[in-house]
Amino acid sequence: MSIYLPIAELSVNLFVLLSLGGGVGFLSGMFGLGGGFLMTPLLIFMGIPTNVAVATSANQIVASSISGTIGHWRQGLVDFKMGGVLLTGSVFGSVLGIWIFKTLVSSGQIETAISILYFVLLTSIGTLMLIESSQVIRDRIRKKTVIKKIHYHNWAHKLPFKVRFYKSKLYISVIPPIIIGFFIGVLSAVMGIGGSFILIPAMIYFLGMPTSKVIGTSLFQIIFITAIITLLHTTTTFAVDAILAFFLIISSVIGAQLGVLVANKLRGEEIRALLAVIVLVVAVKIALDLLVPPEEIFNLTVLRVIF
Amino acid sequence: MHIKSIVISIFLFLLLTFNVTALVIGSDEEEILIDANFAGQDLLVFGAFYADPSQPRDEKGDLLIEIVGPSEDVMLRKKKSFIGFWLNAYQVEFRDIPGFYYLSSTSEIDREFLDQNNIGILKAKRSSEIDWSSLTINWGGVNSDTDKKEFNEALVRTKTQEGLYKEANNEIQILDGNLFKTSIHIPNTVPVGKYDVNVYLIIDEKIKRQYSYQFTITRIGIEEAIYNFAFDFPLLYGLISLAIAAIAGWSGAELFRRFRKS
Repeated sequence: MSIYLPIAELSVNLFVLLSLGGGVGFLSGMFGLGGGFLMTPLLIFMGIPTNVAVATSANQIVASSISGTIGHWRQGLVDFKMGGVLLTGSVFGSVLGIWIFKTLVSSGQIETAISILYFVLLTSIGTLMLIESSQVIRDRIRKKTVIKKIHYHNWAHKLPFKVRFYKSKLYISVIPPIIIGFFIGVLSAVMGIGGSFILIPAMIYFLGMPTSKVIGTSLFQIIFITAIITLLHTTTTFAVDAILAFFLIISSVIGAQLGVLVANKLRGEEIRALLAVIVLVVAVKIALDLLVPPEEIFNLTVLRVIF
Repeated sequence: MHIKSIVISIFLFLLLTFNVTALVIGSDEEEILIDANFAGQDLLVFGAFYADPSQPRDEKGDLLIEIVGPSEDVMLRKKKSFIGFWLNAYQVEFRDIPGFYYLSSTSEIDREFLDQNNIGILKAKRSSEIDWSSLTINWGGVNSDTDKKEFNEALVRTKTQEGLYKEANNEIQILDGNLFKTSIHIPNTVPVGKYDVNVYLIIDEKIKRQYSYQFTITRIGIEEAIYNFAFDFPLLYGLISLAIAAIAGWSGAELFRRFRKS
């Protein structure tokens, strides 16, 4: 059964669409990630135009991050103050990001730029995850216990405009979180991702936030940043496809909840290693699309239909 | 369709009786509707033509059916390899080209004839002569005639690959001496708008009769509503998209929490 997407202006197989949403949702629920970094490239592989894929992913991430935040908030694991400071930076970052996105669309470089960005991103995430999970597996085999540092003291504690974040038990300058938020805002707008896989390590290592509160706080701020980006896209690029978003949201929310259930029953490292492999396969596919000489070196974009 | 068949029969009778050169056509669709399940559609164009019954069939002339879709402006980009990476390097904007074009005939299509009579993909509209001076060019110019020819050909080729342009020889079926029909595939990527159907009766390399009519392709139902809403009220469209996301995200979390408790 196929379904016509009004903004993408093509029809896709509904079953493929729901499997994609459910699959990505499942992985995101299992790993506590937004899943946008897999959703966008897979939508592009399906033939959805790049701008629609990016903009609609942002809308879908709003739903999945709300779903995720509720769970963490109930357990008191969201630092709203820190989320707010990060968001301040993100708002400015996303405005810049949308401007970059529009410029890339009009100059015809959006597909290439998105491919290169995703290749770099997925390769680094995949490699890091693979190294990390294989180390944990190796340590487990050797029966080594790893002693983790709870709190990092670094340059982030020496800057001015210090603010007390009670929930995270931190007293640091607001400059680093604003800069991090800004950077994530740009990436989110250009790539259609929430950016939690960059945000989470940045919050742990640069800000020294306690690990338990990091996921909830990052999800909380992703709700708002992807919401702002969705609005910026609907008003400037007109690329959010409501039908596509609807089916992705429904399937990914269900997939994410199932992912959480399964995650509780499985050992983390093996699944993380598997996800790392999936991510690397997607990265290789993107690289091949850029490097293999195309069969048709011309491509056509309809700018406007004259009535 | 019944009424049309009757009309055609009456016409045929009159034509046979009075021995004039004439052409009548009909179609099974006056409006093609794009809804949520639209996956392309076949359009049937049929009719009757008549020239001179005393002449053998070949002498009766040829038919040419042309369908021209709504005009559009397109950007055609050409990729080039930069240190191994294939990037869009040149771009040319074509203005006022047909978004859909179909041409078929009862015999081989004669290029020279088409050129003389201004029939063809890039000639379908009077104003479609490409203004090469208005081109936007990224890296390097598109100036020489070979470059222009390459872009012209690429435009037709890419549109053809999408199923939006087609030229077919001998695709019109002659049912008996005077009746013809042809089936045209309208793909799901088709632009909405007004479509012109022109049927030409050609005798001795001259257009003896021309019959034209229009049909429209329209989005309907939720597809139409969403498309218009997204472009007319973008902020509201965004807010509603967010509301749907919020409700779905929240209810998903709630439902599963209760489900896990029980």
